[in-house]
Amino acid sequence: CVIASAGCKTDVDQLRSVLDIKHKVYEHNHRKTMEVTSTAQMLSNTLYYKRFFPYYAFNVLAGVDAEGKGAVYSYDAIGSFERTAVTASGSGQAYLIPLMDNVIDHKNRNDERRELGREEVVEIVKDAFVTAGERDIYTGDSVDIWIITAEGIEKTSFELKKD
Amino acid sequence: RRSIHNDNKTRGVRGRFLKMIGTQAAIGSDILDIGSRRAERHSDGVGARAPPMLRFGEPGAFDVPNVPDPAQFCRSNFASASGNKDEGQAVKFAKGTTTLAFKFNGGIIVSVDSRSTMGAYISSGTVKKVIEINPFLLGTMAGGAADCSFWERNLGVQCRMYELRNRKRITVAAASKLLANTMNSYRGYGLSMGTMVAGWDETGPQLYYVDDDGTRLKGKYYSVGSGSTYAYGVLDTLYRPDLTVEEAIDLGKRAIYHATHRDAYSGGINNLYHVTKEGWVKIHSIDVNDMHYEFIEEKKNAMSS
Repeated sequence: CVIASAGCKTDVDQLRSVLDIKHKVYEHNHRKTMEVTSTAQMLSNTLYYKRFFPYYAFNVLAGVDAEGKGAVYSYDAIGSFERTAVTASGSGQAYLIPLMDNVIDHKNRNDERRELGREEVVEIVKDAFVTAGERDIYTGDSVDIWIITAEGIEKTSFELKKD
Repeated sequence: RRSIHNDNKTRGVRGRFLKMIGTQAAIGSDILDIGSRRAERHSDGVGARAPPMLRFGEPGAFDVPNVPDPAQFCRSNFASASGNKDEGQAVKFAKGTTTLAFKFNGGIIVSVDSRSTMGAYISSGTVKKVIEINPFLLGTMAGGAADCSFWERNLGVQCRMYELRNRKRITVAAASKLLANTMNSYRGYGLSMGTMVAGWDETGPQLYYVDDDGTRLKGKYYSVGSGSTYAYGVLDTLYRPDLTVEEAIDLGKRAIYHATHRDAYSGGINNLYHVTKEGWVKIHSIDVNDMHYEFIEEKKNAMSS
């Protein structure tokens, strides 16, 4: 599974370090890789144990669950989490989430819902970031996209406006 | 760096702090040395450099900011209190908002909304504000979302430990007391949690209200959250202990609808549970918007007849 985090980079790096260690310990103790659902709970607890001195990190966790379905979890800074269909965090989240709710999750629409293919969703995500980049001064330069499937993880990047 | 450890020997938070100020001679010297001081304090023979081991039912040691008055610092900068108390804060946390529960002759109805806000932004419209502690106990979430879900999950662990040690299920009174005691130990730190613990034990259906300042009240009905005043209006008017199950479900639904209609911080979906002798059962998940049109129809029919 993949974690993406917005916020203070040092806290994000530290959080990843800590999670990495906990992951390894789990693998040694249980002789298997951590499931997404377990990682989600672990991240929540890790964040909450710093409740009185928080990690300034707003995370999104993504992976494929044991049944092969995609899982996306969104977090606040102290570990409140929820499994959702779409999510975003950071300065541009208010521009991205409504767009994704409507286009990808088909919310508040009257037409019939249809299956979206993989390439189509990647294009929608690219468009969403371009849109956010136009309206949020802090979003720009470039985007990395990780596509996570049961087969594995693929990474693509593309450039945004440099202004 | 100081840390607070909840070790159930209630000496009071202040007592622990005074002790720690004494043992940390030079604050600057241990800024880079994150692990060793904590390891010294928690050496239960588990190893000199072992991280603090989790004792079951207690969270691990919590780090606090290295300032003269950590409680005040946390309260003013990291509070997830409901209402506007985190208006000026840089870090906003997710907050939960209208929940209610009432006892009647047929058991307990627990009815909640599902909106979570971070400032004026709705961070989620699908939050599960009823936490299923075990098949006979339900806890509700109002206030800080992370605070509620963490401590109620922790309560679930403590309830299970009780069951294992005593070979019987824990009573609602005891469960709510465990939670209230935990809240009391972190009093003043800016935790925000207004929860109701509802369940059916050997004494019958029980409902307790537990607060982040350690308040614990037994009662017939409660409503918690920013929309609670609206829900109380409806509850106070229509509540009777001899409601039938259908009437009780309708009351729970109606009270939440009115709260979500008038309170900006409440909305989404109404999740309703019924606690019976056999345990809790989830009755429905209805979008409050659909309820609005249902009640309009009802009013129209009532007016025309």
